[in-house]
Amino acid sequence: MYLPWQDEMILTGPEIERQVSRGAIVIDPFDRGRLNPNSYNVRLAETIAVYDEYVLDSARENKVSVEKISEEGRLLSRDRIYLGATIETIGSDQFVPIVRARSSTARLGVFVHVTADLVDLGYIGQLTLQLHAVQGARIYAGMEIGQVTFWTTQGDRTLYNGKYQGSIGPIPSKSFLDWKSDS
Amino acid sequence: MILTGPEISREVAAGRIIISPFNDAQVNPNSYNYRLGPLLISVDQSGFRIGRPIDLRMTPVTLEPGRVYLGHTSETIGSSAYVTMLNGRSSIGRLGMFLNFSADLGHLGPSHQWTLEIMVVQPLTVYWNMKIGQATFWRPVGKIEPYLGEYARRNEPTPCICLGRMK
Repeated sequence: MYLPWQDEMILTGPEIERQVSRGAIVIDPFDRGRLNPNSYNVRLAETIAVYDEYVLDSARENKVSVEKISEEGRLLSRDRIYLGATIETIGSDQFVPIVRARSSTARLGVFVHVTADLVDLGYIGQLTLQLHAVQGARIYAGMEIGQVTFWTTQGDRTLYNGKYQGSIGPIPSKSFLDWKSDS
Repeated sequence: MILTGPEISREVAAGRIIISPFNDAQVNPNSYNYRLGPLLISVDQSGFRIGRPIDLRMTPVTLEPGRVYLGHTSETIGSSAYVTMLNGRSSIGRLGMFLNFSADLGHLGPSHQWTLEIMVVQPLTVYWNMKIGQATFWRPVGKIEPYLGEYARRNEPTPCICLGRMK
């Protein structure tokens, strides 16, 4: 009997591992100890970026300063957006990655993305995390801060070749390029 | 199962997804970039609109932290065949804008200009028709009973309709 949901949806942990081993998912470095029943835990890299200006403009390039998180960690102030990155290079030409916080992170009031959780098919790179702490919070380099899930797709695929492809470290917004490319 | 960009284009052409106006250049590998519509309102602690709607066609606006703004999509969006989710876009998330925070799930059913819940971490200047977020489409399992509620008839930024009922 055909059950329409048999070929669906979110990958289990064992399936993520299987797809990594056959090259359909990139998680590098991969450590099966970070595999969950239906996601993979990603760690926070040591660099963090903060915008130089307090007032930001979607149509303008907003400069950032990049710093290293020290052994004592980095206190996130609640009135700022911080850009972090995953240690892991992540991506897939076949399954759509979606980023989630770990519940341990969320219990501290820390967002790892601000409602932009979707990764494009074909993107391969370190993921930029949009870090925000509701009450302020201290974070540490190397902590398992988030998890990535992988989802099956319907339809022909065209792969991402956009402005963030191959990112290393936290990359600030390039939204200002939209104003150059169209009206 | 999430629809790829080419599949979104195909289903728009087939009429099973409505995105109007539709522009090929706004199709991503697995989502569609939607734009910010002209009207923006802010609401008070009771959820009522503060003052008159802001018209972004006249001037860009710098959103302030600590407030909830309601905007809307430029596009009419919807589908009775696929579940629509309105997510943020990483270019804008990187600037600290929350979009449809924790309420990104749409109902199967009629298409309209969707109200966007907007909040910023740092002040952020926004513009009419900027590409602000991404719509994704998901294949459901089961019999479809489309949403026929009040919000589906609204194209302008619409505060919580619970307000009238609570009185």
